[in-house]
Amino acid sequence: MSLLSVKDLTVRFGGITALDQVSLELNRGEILGLIGPNGAGKTTLFNCISGVLQPDQGRIRYQGKSLRWLKPHQRAQRGIARTFQNLQLWGTMTVLDNVKVPIDALGKRSLVVDALGLPFATYAEKAANERARAILHVLGLLDHEDRLAGDLPVGIQRRVELARALAMRPQLLLLDEPAAGLDAAETEGLADLLTRIRERFKVSMLLVDHDMSLVMRACDYIYVLDFGKLLAAGRPEAIREDPKVIAAYLGEASAELPGAPEEEAVVVAKTAAQPTTPVFRLPDRPLLEVSGLAAGYGHLEVVRDVNLRISTGEVVACIGANGAGKTTTLRALSGVIRPRGGRVIFEGADITHDRPEAIVRLGLVHIPQGRGLFPKLSVEETLRLASYSGADGENLEPAFQLFPKLRDRRRQVVGTLSGGEQQMVAMARAILARPKLVLLDEMSQGLAPAIVQELFRLLDEFRNRGVAVLLVEQFVDSALAVADRAYVFEQGTVVHEASAKELRRDKGLIASSYLGSAPEPPAAAAHAGGNGHNGHTPLPAELMEDLMLKLPASMLRSLQEKSAREGRPAQALVLELLEERRS
Amino acid sequence: MNRVIRAAGFLLLALAITVPARLDLELQFDAALAVIYGLAILSLVLLTGYVGQISLCQATFMGISAFGTGMLVNTFHLNYFVAAAAGVLMSFLVGIVVGIPALRLRGILLAVVTLGVALVFDKYFFLDSAYGWFTGGSFGWHVSGTHVGSIKVDSLHVMPAYYVLLGIFVLVALAMLRLHDSGSGRRFRAIRDSELAAATMGVDLTRYKLVAFGLSAAIAGLGGALYPLVVGSVSAQPFSFLYSLQFAAFAVLMGIRYVPAAAIGGFFMGFMPVILVRLSHSLHHDIKYDWFQVVLGALLVAQLILLPDGVWGDVRQKLDHLQVKAPRRKVETA
Ligand SMILES: Nc1ncnc2c1ncn2[C@@H]1O[C@H](COP(=O)(O)OP(=O)(O)OP(=O)(O)O)[C@@H](O)[C@H]1O
Ligand SMILES: [Mg+2]
Repeated sequence: MSLLSVKDLTVRFGGITALDQVSLELNRGEILGLIGPNGAGKTTLFNCISGVLQPDQGRIRYQGKSLRWLKPHQRAQRGIARTFQNLQLWGTMTVLDNVKVPIDALGKRSLVVDALGLPFATYAEKAANERARAILHVLGLLDHEDRLAGDLPVGIQRRVELARALAMRPQLLLLDEPAAGLDAAETEGLADLLTRIRERFKVSMLLVDHDMSLVMRACDYIYVLDFGKLLAAGRPEAIREDPKVIAAYLGEASAELPGAPEEEAVVVAKTAAQPTTPVFRLPDRPLLEVSGLAAGYGHLEVVRDVNLRISTGEVVACIGANGAGKTTTLRALSGVIRPRGGRVIFEGADITHDRPEAIVRLGLVHIPQGRGLFPKLSVEETLRLASYSGADGENLEPAFQLFPKLRDRRRQVVGTLSGGEQQMVAMARAILARPKLVLLDEMSQGLAPAIVQELFRLLDEFRNRGVAVLLVEQFVDSALAVADRAYVFEQGTVVHEASAKELRRDKGLIASSYLGSAPEPPAAAAHAGGNGHNGHTPLPAELMEDLMLKLPASMLRSLQEKSAREGRPAQALVLELLEERRS
Repeated sequence: MNRVIRAAGFLLLALAITVPARLDLELQFDAALAVIYGLAILSLVLLTGYVGQISLCQATFMGISAFGTGMLVNTFHLNYFVAAAAGVLMSFLVGIVVGIPALRLRGILLAVVTLGVALVFDKYFFLDSAYGWFTGGSFGWHVSGTHVGSIKVDSLHVMPAYYVLLGIFVLVALAMLRLHDSGSGRRFRAIRDSELAAATMGVDLTRYKLVAFGLSAAIAGLGGALYPLVVGSVSAQPFSFLYSLQFAAFAVLMGIRYVPAAAIGGFFMGFMPVILVRLSHSLHHDIKYDWFQVVLGALLVAQLILLPDGVWGDVRQKLDHLQVKAPRRKVETA
């Protein structure tokens, strides 16, 4: 009856049980949320559904049929498409080619025809081009069609992944953290986009994300996983208030979710992290002084004339829309790319043209977006490596104290960690390097809300220890809550500098650089479900199911809830309803 | 850029057609060998450059078709070209079988396995008298040559064979260029960039990987099948794993992702020994081929550091830069 039905799914990796008897139902036309702490098993569930991983136990039925013996590409051809948390674009191919691969995969095109360049191949090529462009157009990616996918900024790569998945003509779309790396305005846009896509392409979705504003806004129904077990399931309003979910996952952040009672929906860490007076600060000489910095890639100059000053123990935020040049600035500061002009002075020494390793040794540590880890090294090895570069011994304790989870995983290779766990390793590495200045690019990306709060508190800790921080952050409000000052970026340069307090008060300033700020609470949360159209004919004996399929997803969901509550089959309830109507 | 490269291609082709006819027999012989090596490198461009699968047994694939052809000609007295076609088919089939481990393995492991295949064939097949029916025993096969119409082709008259080889090379190269930008080519490249994404976007990994191995083996086999005609005999030595390693080295050095790299690589592999020999004659000083190999190794290391995309990859990029006049689109970065 449902589009996707997962029953008692269990997956083990050695001693770890990544999924433990998980069951869930996804109805046609529904956007189903799947949330849970880092390492809860969300991506693992996606892997099972898309066929990348065989579960140890349990079954998955899709459109009423078992997926057991189907390979990943067969599942894709039957309409299951997905995106990846750790982006998996084909980096050396253009955006257009990326989108064309799934389109070709649907048509039957032979190698011989292609190699000979027969007329049919040219024709098919044209058709594929058109369809691919149409999809790129819907997602606003036409401008990038000829760029190599690997060269694009992460935010745009995520959109290309979405486009590629849509090109598969999916009935079921699995989205693994599509909002990671997007700012508030973009996330809001994404929520609308997803609902639009549902109407337009008639797809159902399973959505994993740690950005609660997106999940609460877009989803009709939410499942919560914790340690591989189903912790709760319900509608967004119910999940938001569920004490179990708050304890395990949301943390105090649930108070500031859209639709929550508090009027002034700000600040995670406001109470925890009042900008305190730093313990020590050298007022005369700044730690980092940047003047007239210019940098870019290939023929392009992406940032120019950037001036920054950061003192010891200061927390400074860079804000501005995606594409404003924040990441590029950080990369130029840490020597990952060569500055084209200007000067970078760190602790009085000119480091403008130093190599990245040398810069790290001086105590300027950069945690790039996308983490930059070695997948084959174990957690412990990675952290050891970090503490070497920072001259200090082998004590990994500080890192494990902050992320207890990593202690259990110290022998696991980084490549197999969950996305969030990898982010923890990246953060831990920076801490162990004993930095004087940390450049943080989207540190909260991929982390559960509760941990994000923890990290913002950590920034305060940094400040107290006299470590300066320059951060780029999608959660602007949270960033401004801990920061002392902020630079506003626009079109590759700094257009404004202000104290964080000032910016917090003057929302207009931020809004103008982002074209939107914190998402507003959705008026009537999760009202309509899509109308469950489908083109799939039921068996004559299953007239009932046919009827149920015609119900809107939201109504179906209430029926299921009722049937679960009363322990009676949903069919019986429908019959009852009909009877009532008649009499 | 395309225009410059295309013009250069035509020029080179014209030279390849006209020049060898004026050379002495030894150089003509080397020219034919150069094309055979070029095909072997081309087979790696397909397999490794396009699909990302590593193979260190391309010479083995060549050997299969060379021995197969020799056997069919000698034992069954087939027409040479019919035998050659059958030999290529044998390479294709063996290629598919060798591709099976690639369904599971990647990178260095696959390299080791294919190298193992090469070693096993070297030692226990090509040189084992138990398979004398296929390999012709310890003396290999002698191939006396054939006629195309009234033209005689054998090891003393290699030009016709050279032209056939050149024609085959050009056709395969063109087909591969076509393939690169076609649907199948995109699927191949998708497998190279991310197998995970390719599988979940509807690309049948099993099928495409096996086909890639089969086709690659067949391309290498094309050169192998005509080898007996050029040399006059078939023995195990030219198909040893050392040659496989050299093909891989030249392919990487010249730019394994690009078809023209095969032409350049084949040229150097074919002519370098004779050039060195003649040079040492005229200098009255013995330059050993071994030295060339040492130099090759050093070049390879230098290239990996300086031009990771290979010689041709670098040239191409330079040409690209020269061409950029049109204003580029603005790039967003975060
Ligand atoms: N190949 C593997 N070997 C060992 N452990 C693994 C492997 N793959 C995943 N795990 C573990 O299984 C658990 C579940 O991982 P999964 O990626 O599903 O988490 P997740 O819910 O997606 O988390 P996140 O929100 O951080 O992305 C993690 O603790 C992870 O370390
Ligand atoms: Mg995950």
